[in-house]
Amino acid sequence: MVHVEIKAEELFAIGPLIVTNSMVGVLLASIVLLLAAWWFTRRSGIVPSRGQSLLELPIEFLAGVVRGTGGKRWRQFAPFVFAIFLYVLIANWLSLLPGVGTIGLAEEVDGEKIIVPFVRAGAADLNFTLGLALISFVAFVAFGLRANGLRGYLKELLIAEPAYMTPLLTPIHLISELSRVISLSMRLFGNVFAGEVLLATMLALTTATVFILPLAFVVPGIFLGLELLFGLVQALVFALLSMTYITLAIAEHRQHGSSDDHSGEAPEQGAAPAHGSA
Amino acid sequence: MGLGGIGPGIGLGIGFSKAMEAIGRNPEASGTIFVPYILGLALTEAIGIYALVVSLIILFAS
Repeated sequence: MVHVEIKAEELFAIGPLIVTNSMVGVLLASIVLLLAAWWFTRRSGIVPSRGQSLLELPIEFLAGVVRGTGGKRWRQFAPFVFAIFLYVLIANWLSLLPGVGTIGLAEEVDGEKIIVPFVRAGAADLNFTLGLALISFVAFVAFGLRANGLRGYLKELLIAEPAYMTPLLTPIHLISELSRVISLSMRLFGNVFAGEVLLATMLALTTATVFILPLAFVVPGIFLGLELLFGLVQALVFALLSMTYITLAIAEHRQHGSSDDHSGEAPEQGAAPAHGSA
Repeated sequence: MGLGGIGPGIGLGIGFSKAMEAIGRNPEASGTIFVPYILGLALTEAIGIYALVVSLIILFAS
């Protein structure tokens, strides 16, 4: 049977701060991201070299998506979306490297020997995903406040369109606003954690057959490829959903007929998920 | 978990088939269909993930 720990294990403590192995994983992702940013902006030019244009391809794809969905003000929040995407992507893909989740200290718990790994997938800990979701929540509330002003934002949040529906719709509105945080964080955590469990289970199932068939080299490899794809898709989904929430928050006051510069933005808004759908 | 998997399974199937239909009718629009499609799949899939998280918590954390 595979040993699965739902919480991140503690490694050591610096004063009151307890360092878990998930924190190590997330810190590694940050370091990789910072080093990559430093390395690739050091000698980038207007006319890109071959390596630079290869690296710009995914950014250009994402910029196209943001421009298509984000409306006129897409440049304001595009860096935020890119940052979330790259961070989650690197944290997800780092967790698929060999050694992550497998190299560690052996510990004896309840007479059973388990391994406490030094590094664990960052997003396989709810703290990381919840933190990201809270950042995204603060971002879309702040964008909404900046676009509509405090009065406009509160009016949008608390008063429904036909005024007599307010007592019914306002709680639903508030809950749907808060449930975005839960659904964002739970989705990423569930996917990454389930992926880790899936890989461990597949490896444990196929190692038994290793003397007959070399399945243990093939089957986990297939699932590893699948996890690469899932890591990319989940990073994209997290970034795109944050972007959609920001777009909704910016565009919300449009329905009240105020007529300033962005009343004509983004016909795709109707295709974006409605309030209660998260 | 099994029950929780049924609903998103049906929902994802309907969403995917409609997206493929739409692309088949209008191949040039596949770029515009892609993003709402991914978002819809993610929102549908979240229900299944909830079931998975709850079952994993019951299984390992109790």
